[in-house]
Amino acid sequence: MTTLLSLRHVEKHFGHVRAVNGVSLDIRQNEFFALLGASGSGKTTLLRMLAGFEALSGGQILLNGKDISHVPPNHRPVNLMFQSYALFPHMSVAQNIAYGLEMEKLPRTEIRQRVDEILATIQLSALASRKPEQLSGGQRQRVALARALVKRPQLLLLDEPLGALDKKLRGEMQLELKRIQHQFGITFIIVTHDQEEALVMADRIAILQHGELLQCAPPREVYEHPANRFAAEFIGVMNVIPVARDGAKLTAAEGSLIRADIPDGMGGDLVAAVRPERLRLDAHACENRLSGRILATAYHGLDLQVHIETPAMPKPLICRVTADAAEARSFRTGDVLSLGWSRADTRIFAA
Amino acid sequence: MADRRTFRLMLLILGLVFAFLYIPISVLVGLSFNAGGMPTAWTGFSLKWYGALFANQDILRAAGNTLIVGLVSAAISTVLGTLLAIGVEIRRRKGSVLETLIFAPMVIPDIVLAIALLSFFSLLDVRLGLHTVIMAHVVFNLAYVCAVVRARLKSFDWSIVEASTDLGASTLTTLRRVVLPVLAPAIIAGGLLAFTLSVDEFIIAFFTAGAQRASITLPMQIYGMIRFGVTPEINVLATLVIGFSLVTLALSQRLNRGGLPGQ
Repeated sequence: MTTLLSLRHVEKHFGHVRAVNGVSLDIRQNEFFALLGASGSGKTTLLRMLAGFEALSGGQILLNGKDISHVPPNHRPVNLMFQSYALFPHMSVAQNIAYGLEMEKLPRTEIRQRVDEILATIQLSALASRKPEQLSGGQRQRVALARALVKRPQLLLLDEPLGALDKKLRGEMQLELKRIQHQFGITFIIVTHDQEEALVMADRIAILQHGELLQCAPPREVYEHPANRFAAEFIGVMNVIPVARDGAKLTAAEGSLIRADIPDGMGGDLVAAVRPERLRLDAHACENRLSGRILATAYHGLDLQVHIETPAMPKPLICRVTADAAEARSFRTGDVLSLGWSRADTRIFAA
Repeated sequence: MADRRTFRLMLLILGLVFAFLYIPISVLVGLSFNAGGMPTAWTGFSLKWYGALFANQDILRAAGNTLIVGLVSAAISTVLGTLLAIGVEIRRRKGSVLETLIFAPMVIPDIVLAIALLSFFSLLDVRLGLHTVIMAHVVFNLAYVCAVVRARLKSFDWSIVEASTDLGASTLTTLRRVVLPVLAPAIIAGGLLAFTLSVDEFIIAFFTAGAQRASITLPMQIYGMIRFGVTPEINVLATLVIGFSLVTLALSQRLNRGGLPGQ
């Protein structure tokens, strides 16, 4: 896999605020890459720097080994799909899509052919002469995508592309985007605050916090082996148990022993962490155990979330019970419940 | 449907208001077709005063002058006002001092503006004439065009400018193919508004036109004629101006659907 884009110690300062702080990344050819972070993490600023709309305060951006840090946006082989879609309201769907090709001064016949092709791909051929205001949100989203894709950029940037769609449509478009990315063989960099979206779509995820890169890894690794406590709690739900350390021995606040592999060189206050779906009802068979009273239950259809109050943790312990298990026994508020999990599912982080 | 009577009363009031507004105008329009020419008695339908008007060289010259002043000042203020509106909107964070300065000519009394412009021209030793009227009209028209275009810009989605750049367009191409077409209805409406304001403007033109007959505009000409009584020709002239204004107004409203605030 060859590297398409390299970020070298990229910095962006707004006055005293470091919106992007020394981010270095390599993004490969044909990769579906997600920049994930809360609002204010610098992910959108980083994306705008790649598009050329924000000047770098430091560092370099290399595309195919060439420094494009100071190339203006209209001369970069990079296109951006805007969060608001930014369709031209006075142009039809076909005119919107043709605009970028007209800027390249391509012959008319080629422009028409490529516009027709991409309209067929996004299944909007019938609406080619409509104005953006006559389209639904999902259709606008596809026109915006087509307008950026039709230029065949080396890199397509997508700023919260599914943010304005309702939940059901979002699920369909996640797969659609992946299919289109595969079909066109273009590298996608997507900015999102939705961790589920990143997990579903991306080949690799970069987690940003306060303008710094926390972790960059494939979805499974980001989920199963978070780099630190913030990443662990940011992606999915994580139960965090404060532990006291005595050599290799870890004990929770109410005295139960936590068995886990402590990473080398980790000192100071520690926490043990375990995902809700790793907790098991047959606690006696597990290496680690906690018990407490059921505080509340939340029915989610395919599973039941049980919140358990335990002296070992300041926040309730959250456990996901699968539908069959939830039917097999009752979970009443106030009942005492013991939960267990294995040593291998336990992660240790600095507090 | 609480009350049929209330509804009828409301209709009556509406009718009275419209009568109050439009009866004087219709009297004037009617009298322009009065054969006798006296406002006191109707002596039959005739177009002869229309003929008399088009034979009057002074009126024709004044109408020509007004047309020149209106067109040129509207054109200049449309270009400058649009650029001003875009510029101010881009740098709107700089605060409201600039905004107040732009809109001042709209609220300053015409008479003050007229005296100020006259003093300014004489200070610079500019010979007065049609060109000074045009310059003076640009001053206040600029504010109106700017206001109309800015109203449109308030709802302008700036991300389309970035989208255009991203798709490979230069700044000039973006202005020509994206910004101006989207703003076009407001720009045209602003231009038409400037034109109509300029056509019936009297005070400022009166102060800045100078003494020679060659630079008299239509409102000044009418004012000069009316000092010797309302002649039938004035009725005719007024009728034509009303017709012209209505057409322009209708055009402007049609073009600016959804452009002005509150529309």
